[in-house]
Parts: sequence; C-alpha cells; structure tokens
Amino acid sequence: MLWFAVHLPCLSLEAFGAGLDATARRRPVALLAEHRIAAADAAAAQAGVQPGLRRATALALAPDLLLGQADAARDRSALQAVVHAALTLTPAVAVQGHAVLLEVQASLRFFGGPATLLSRLRDTLAPLGHKVQIASAATAQGAALLAQWRGDLALGPHSTQPAALQALLDELPLGLLAAAREHAEALQGMGLHRLGDLHRLPRSGLARRFGKALLDEADRARGTRPDPRTWLAAPERFEDRLELPMRADRAEQVLHGAAVLLARLVAWARARQARVAAFVLALRHEVRHRGGEATPAETTLRIDLAEPSADAAHLQLLLRERLARLRLAAPTLELRLECSDSVVATTASGELFPDHRSAHTGLVRLVEQLRARLGDEQVRQLQPVADHRPERACTSVAVSARSLAMPATTVAPSDAVAAVATEVAGFASAWPQTRPVWLLPEPLPLAERGVMPLLDGRALLLLSGPERIETGWWDGGLVVRDYFVAQAADGSLVWVFRQRLPGSAELSQPIWFLQGRFA
Amino acid sequence: MAAFPPSHPDLFTPEAVSPPVPAEPAPGLPELEQLHPALWRAHQLGSVQGPVWPSGFAVLDTALPGGGWPGRCLSELLLAHPGIGEMRLLAPMLAAVQRSGRSVMLFEPPALPCGGALAGLGVDLQRLVVVHAARAEGVVPGVGAAPVRDARARAADLLWALEQALASGEAGAVLAWPMPGMRAESLRRLQLAAQAHRGPAFLLRELAAQRQPSAAPLRLALRPAGPDEITVQVVKRRGPPLVQPLTLALAPVLSMPVRARARRLAAEAAAATAPVGLAVRV
Repeated sequence: MLWFAVHLPCLSLEAFGAGLDATARRRPVALLAEHRIAAADAAAAQAGVQPGLRRATALALAPDLLLGQADAARDRSALQAVVHAALTLTPAVAVQGHAVLLEVQASLRFFGGPATLLSRLRDTLAPLGHKVQIASAATAQGAALLAQWRGDLALGPHSTQPAALQALLDELPLGLLAAAREHAEALQGMGLHRLGDLHRLPRSGLARRFGKALLDEADRARGTRPDPRTWLAAPERFEDRLELPMRADRAEQVLHGAAVLLARLVAWARARQARVAAFVLALRHEVRHRGGEATPAETTLRIDLAEPSADAAHLQLLLRERLARLRLAAPTLELRLECSDSVVATTASGELFPDHRSAHTGLVRLVEQLRARLGDEQVRQLQPVADHRPERACTSVAVSARSLAMPATTVAPSDAVAAVATEVAGFASAWPQTRPVWLLPEPLPLAERGVMPLLDGRALLLLSGPERIETGWWDGGLVVRDYFVAQAADGSLVWVFRQRLPGSAELSQPIWFLQGRFA
Repeated sequence: MAAFPPSHPDLFTPEAVSPPVPAEPAPGLPELEQLHPALWRAHQLGSVQGPVWPSGFAVLDTALPGGGWPGRCLSELLLAHPGIGEMRLLAPMLAAVQRSGRSVMLFEPPALPCGGALAGLGVDLQRLVVVHAARAEGVVPGVGAAPVRDARARAADLLWALEQALASGEAGAVLAWPMPGMRAESLRRLQLAAQAHRGPAFLLRELAAQRQPSAAPLRLALRPAGPDEITVQVVKRRGPPLVQPLTLALAPVLSMPVRARARRLAAEAAAATAPVGLAVRV
C-alpha cells in the first residue's frame, strides 16, 4: 500500500483570501476565533502578529491588517475541492484534519509510477492555489504525520520500505500527534520529544499515564495497528458558496471569487468524470431600499453551454463575458455556484491534425463566446417557414450546438469551387429568382405620384407582372397584396407590393409598399 | 532597370499583364518578383500567398490578383446602398466555402436575409450564422432600469465579434456590415486578425469610404448596371489599376423577355428626356 498525504498548512487563510481581489491581497491577513488571533499569514507574522494575541493588539502592530472570522464551513468547502482534485487520481481518498490522504497503490501502473503520479497530483492541485506539503508512506497515519512535519518527503526510501519509514518516524516531533497535544507539558517534562523516545519506554506505563489514544496513534503510524478509513465520493450535485470579504460594487470585482468557484466546479466535474452542461451563479446582495423599492436579494446568472465541457479556461471566459455586461443593482456580499446539469459521457478523442470534427468544435466554441458577450438571442440561424407571407416565411432562431451542421465529408476546396463554377455557368438559363435576399422587417410605405410609386423621390419602373399573394385569413394576419419587381432609378431591383383592399376607404392610406431589395 | 517606354499606348490594361522583360546584366539571377511571393511589380498583377477562392465569374477572376477572392486578408466592397446584387456576386464563393465544410458568418446584415432566396442561390442554411450586435438591454432582466445601448457601443461590440471570429480561424467566410465612419486603426486590427482566417473576409461599406485610405489589400466599388447586372470598379488591388469597370451578369431575377424589355425601356429613356411612365404588363 502506498499512501500520499496532502497537507494544507494555510488552508484557513487561503479559503478566506479566495474572495479577495488583487489590491486587497497585498495587505496582511489574519483570522480571528473568539476575539483572539487564530492564524496569520507571512506578512502579518513579519509585522509581529502571532496566534493568541487580542484583536486590538494585532491591529496596533499592523494597522492595515485585514481581519476575518475563522469559519470551519469555509475550510471544509476548500478542502472538498482538494478532495475532488484527488479523486481524479484514485477512488480511495480520505480526509484527516487539514490533510487529504490518497491510497494510490492500484493507480500506480495506470499513471506510470509514483513520480509521474506525484507530478500529476501537483498539476491537478495547482489551479486551486493552495500551498501544499506532500509526503508518502506505506501507512496512512505515517504519511499524514510526515506531511505535517516537512515538505520534502514526497518520495524517498521511506515510501516503500518499512524500515526507512520507521527510522524517519522515530525523528518525528511528538507535538504533531493529535493525542499528544493535551499532554504536551507532561511529555516535555519527561524529556520525550520525539516518537522514537516513546517507543523505548514500556507500553503499559505509557498507556496508564497518557491513555491508549497516544499509543494507538503511534502504532497506526508504524503500521502495527490496522487503520481502516472511509472513502469519500463526489456528490451528484455541486453547490458551493464563497463569501466576499470586501463588498463588491462592480461586476469585475466579483470575477476573482467567481474564478475560484469555477476552479472548484471543474475539480468536482473531473472527479465524477463528467462535463458541465449548465451552471448558475447567484450573487447575494445586501438588501437596500432605494427610491421606495427594495432591490432584489439575489441576482442569478445562468450560463448554458452549447457543448458540455470541463475546461476551466473556457468556462471562465464565458462567465467573464457575461459578468462584463452585468450591472449590479446593489453591492454583492456572497457568491453561490450551483451545477445540477452535468453530462457523464465519453468525449470525442482529441485529434493531432485538425479535421472537420475539430473544426466543428472550434465553431461551437466561437459561437458560445459570441453568445456570452452579445446575448443568447443575437446569434441566429435562418429557418424558413412554409408560408406564403414573406415576413412570416423568413424567420430566424437562436443558434445551438445541435443546429450547427457537422460536415459529413470534407470536399477539397478546388473540387467544391469547380462544381459551383459549372453551376454559375448555367445561370443564364436558370430559373429566375422570385424572392429578394434583403427583406425589410416592416414594409415601408412609398409615396405616390399619380398612381405610380416613388422611391427616394424617383419613379419606379415596374417590370415583372403582379404576383398575387392572398392568404392568412385564419390567424389574423390577412395579406392581400399584388407583388411587383421594380427597377429603381439607379438600376437596382426592388420588390414592391400594392395592397388590393385597403382597410378603410380613406384615400390617404398608403397603397404601395417596399418589401425588399434583390441583392 | 527597365526604361519606361513612352510609346506604349496601353500599358495599364489587363492584356498587358506580362510585358517584355528587359535583358538582365547577369542572366543567371532570378527575376525580382520571383524572389518572394509577396513582391510584385507595379505593372503586373501580384500573386496571393494564401488560399484563393474563385469568384465564379471568369471576367472578375482575371482582374483579381491570384485569380479569385483572397483568403487571409480583408476585402472591401463599397456600395451606395445594400441591395444592388452584392449577395448574388458573392453567392458562388459562399456556396463553395460551405461545400468545403466551413460555415459562413454574417455580421450585422442590413436586414434579415430571406432564407428561401439564399437557398435559391445555392447557400446552405445549416452552415450560415447571422450575428447581430445590437442588444436591447444591458442588465439581466428584472434588476432595475435597463439602459439603452448607444450606437458607439454597438459598433464596438460588432468590431469585437468580428475580430474574435477572424482570429479564431474557425469561420469559413465572413461578411460584415460595419457602421459608417469606421476608423483606420480598426481596419488595421481586423486586417491583422484576418491573417489567421483561412477564408475570405468581406467588409461591405458605404461608397463614401472610397476616398479614405484602408488597410484592406483589395477594394471594389459596386454599382448597379441595369437589371441583373452589376458594375465592378477596382479601387485598390495588388496590381495595376483597372481603368474600365467590369460588368458582370448576375443570377437572374427577371426572366429573359422581361430583361430585354427593361433594357429597351432603359435605352429609350436614355434617349428621350421624358420620365418613365407606368409600364405594367397585364
């Protein structure tokens, strides 16, 4: 059995600092628990802030100190993300304190050895932005203790050989054992500083003085006592919240916290071997009353992906575009990210040389990016409807991944053009076009001189005879028109119609309308 | 250095594409224009490095450098107003691009194109995407008053979308109708982005832009020339200026007898000075 332990020494501070933006990060940060400092980062420690100081003392030492409350739930969420990252490498993952334990013996062959596995682990943990200390050993407790002790014990003879592990554990300071913390003074008084000192003493005496817990922990570390763990699994639904330490007034300030949540979402998706199809970001506002109306408590942003993906960069890009055009109604205090639409299916394998499938994926991504910035309804595809009325026949729908056609075969460009060139050559004898390419959204009423229509003050020459369209009496859009192809003064062709039955007998109502232009 | 022959009457015609080359002092050296494909002599049509898409009109292909619409750079089409036959001019090339497996993207067209008409020109509607830049609201609905976007923000959105589509290289052919009064630096940015885009990219602008400089290597001015015909004047190309504008026959809208009658009426109207009257066939 080979165990990796990932210890996160600054988990609380990093979990608190996840919601900070760049300017706030330069300040020293410390966490309070029950009005006393519980943890301080390097910048605060340099200023003299130590755990145990009172709040006022700490602020006196470092005036620009950023203080936050220690929150176990926030630490748990951050640790959960590390667990999900570890679940991509092995299904046997357990948690102990602020450390994540992985049992990787079964995954060694797949990943190509412990060194490759270790580098994979570091790469997976990198986006989460935590400081990690990794150690490996043949026992879980041993690996956890080594990770807490030093950061350079990732791989070595102690990983596989029990004798080397025992020799290393003998040097371990006793303060790292959880059961030894309450007896710290007694142990120091006896001159017991290291785990090796403990093993030289008789066991019955130690058990009587300090209880069985200390001995059990030492035995579990050495491997003489069984150490069963409960494995963790990724949940079906992802939900995480992040409290912003500084109130965000603009959408850009939310970006950093949202990026952290997205990194956790991607870690969860990868742990379940799924891809994200849609997610919802909710921004909770502080409730205000402005001008007599209450601002809503929450703003929700739902982002649907045309093609499910687990690519953190792509999701961040889409979210950034949507956030860029969002105006916050009130300052934001908390972000919540939820994902219940995930797709567990095999992805298409990657191709080295670009082919039509990768071109289709590229086009879908481009369309997604345009939709994220411009709006879901702004990118459209044409969908003709079988209706005689021109304004109803030419409709468009918002584009989606399914409607973008995948090319079945790739024809070489020269062949394609040769085929079309022969088609164009036969245009002289082809059937004439009946419908114009540019259709005005609303028919434009034309002025008349006598009974002739005018366009831009010049008379139109009606060329092609009346095409009568009379339809639509059943749904209220009655159309009774005679369509003509006319030539404008500059030589371009337009499509005009004359209404045969004006609604009322008023002579001032326009009869001639411009419907479209032949382009 | 070739001496400028003053007695050559029509030097700048398409027929004089390759004039007689004067004797070089060292006959083993290559011609200057063959040293690199980007070099071209002012009296010759330059070659195009990237892919070239034949336009479907043989007369036009002989006037374009490379023998067709160039890929990897911008081409400008200048029109007085939309609807003079520009889509019928581009339709053969668009159909060819779609048949090669890529999609065509239209950016902010002047009106919604009629699907049936485009299908009649040979364009596949499944591989056509229309992108609008105008947005009605600037905030998520339900949160306070929505500010109306002004024209400058719309133009900026359109240029951003165009640049993304060109730089990604995923679109097959790109047609864009930018707002009038586009700045030269925007054109330069788009030209740079177009170098990653394999297919042709067209900007359809107003005729008044003819007098402004532009970074696009190919600029054509289009004018209607009677029913189902279009006049193409080459404003800028990598080659000698084209004196005579080309007249191309487009995909017909009118049937042949109607077209003949229209030409006859136009000739009569040009001869006479009386305004054209109502001429409707019963």
